[in-house]
Amino acid sequence: MMRRTVTAILAMLAVWSSPALAWDPFREEGGYELPEPAPEPDPAPYIAPPPGIYYVTETYVADVVTSSGPLTTYSTSTVHESTGSYARALGTVGTGASSPFDGSAFNGRRALGDGRAVAGTYYESYVLTAGGFVPVSIVFFQDDAEIARVLAATPTPSPITPPWLPTSPAATSRPSPSTCCAPEPSGAPVARPTPSPIRPVRPGISLLPTGAPLASVEVLRARAVSLYPRAFVDEREIPVRSWSIVAGDAGEALVTADVGGAPFRTSWLRLAPPGSAYELLFRIEVDTPETGHRTVDAPIAVVVRSPALER
Amino acid sequence: MNWLREDRASAMVLTLVLAPLLLVTLAGVLQLGALRVATARVRAAADLAALVAVNDQDDAELARSGVLRLSADAADVAREYFARELELSSSLLNGATAEIAAAADVAAYPVAPAYDTRTGARYERPTVRIAAQVPVRTPVLGALVLRPVTIVDVFAVSSPR
Repeated sequence: MMRRTVTAILAMLAVWSSPALAWDPFREEGGYELPEPAPEPDPAPYIAPPPGIYYVTETYVADVVTSSGPLTTYSTSTVHESTGSYARALGTVGTGASSPFDGSAFNGRRALGDGRAVAGTYYESYVLTAGGFVPVSIVFFQDDAEIARVLAATPTPSPITPPWLPTSPAATSRPSPSTCCAPEPSGAPVARPTPSPIRPVRPGISLLPTGAPLASVEVLRARAVSLYPRAFVDEREIPVRSWSIVAGDAGEALVTADVGGAPFRTSWLRLAPPGSAYELLFRIEVDTPETGHRTVDAPIAVVVRSPALER
Repeated sequence: MNWLREDRASAMVLTLVLAPLLLVTLAGVLQLGALRVATARVRAAADLAALVAVNDQDDAELARSGVLRLSADAADVAREYFARELELSSSLLNGATAEIAAAADVAAYPVAPAYDTRTGARYERPTVRIAAQVPVRTPVLGALVLRPVTIVDVFAVSSPR
């Protein structure tokens, strides 16, 4: 009887032995044949964009005004970049025509030399959230041109030269006398342009090219993040010529200075001391007719966090 | 030589009496060790699932406000990864991992501060909490007139800090 009991117990142990009894915490380092991982389903189901909304591959950079002889062209510079956002065309508006979206675009809508608004197309940007497509901003892509008029008696302000556009060797908001085909009458009194008052430039840093400027931002440790230095005049965005980081811990960034439109890409592998944040200071350079060539500083506090367990 | 034979006999009797007791004790100790290992693996599964869910942030809200906020599907992500992590220990469990994960009490608190509806704890950060009862096979304990399945309570809480 006892032998049978002992045999039964031994057999029971042998049959019911669990792999956990021989669990090796270092089995990942080799020695065991791991099962072939099954293809993982996408945890976020694909949401097809509604009709009219498309994925953005060309991102707005700045309004461009170029002049070639008497012809002045109003266009928009873009950069081939996907920021993960979507867009929808709201409507195209002709020269001088009004649109219900006038005043809603963050970059405004310029005027021709005769005061009429330029032609172009309004687009609305969207970001995809769990709840669907959420509109974030409206941008106006100008697309117009005008022939210069001889304005010898009323010379226009100093020419605009957008140096942030390498493909635009010469650009003016209006044809200047020097580029105009009409010679200036000799001996005639010439009205000198009145320098426009320097307008305050409000810098800002955002996480999207068209996002809201932020004073502080929380990021996860080691998560890649893009910060866009931007500048505004009277709530209207103006092009940034260049930017650089002049103070603060830039994390793992490879580039700490670049031209306008390019984001500052980085990640932080270390957390700031408890209760503190990384204080970054961007120096933003702008050069527009209404602001002149100026640099402004934009601070932003970066709080690096990491998922942690709590008991 | 009689005394020797008598001593051998007594040793044989002693062995026959003590061997089952020792074997039962050994089996019980091994089963308890296995239970501890299974408990550790199940808790690690819950911890990892909570961490993964917290790592899933609402990018649109971050771009808008600069503040970390849990994704709307954080609870679903936690439950899904809890099942995935339990799959690695499925041989120890008494039940399908998907069913165990589906029965778990998973809660996401995307906005802080928040109070846990289960424990009343106050969370100062967006938090994911997993509370589950995981049935673990304990066949040896069952053979010893105990429960063949032991319920392991796991509780994992994670937030970005």
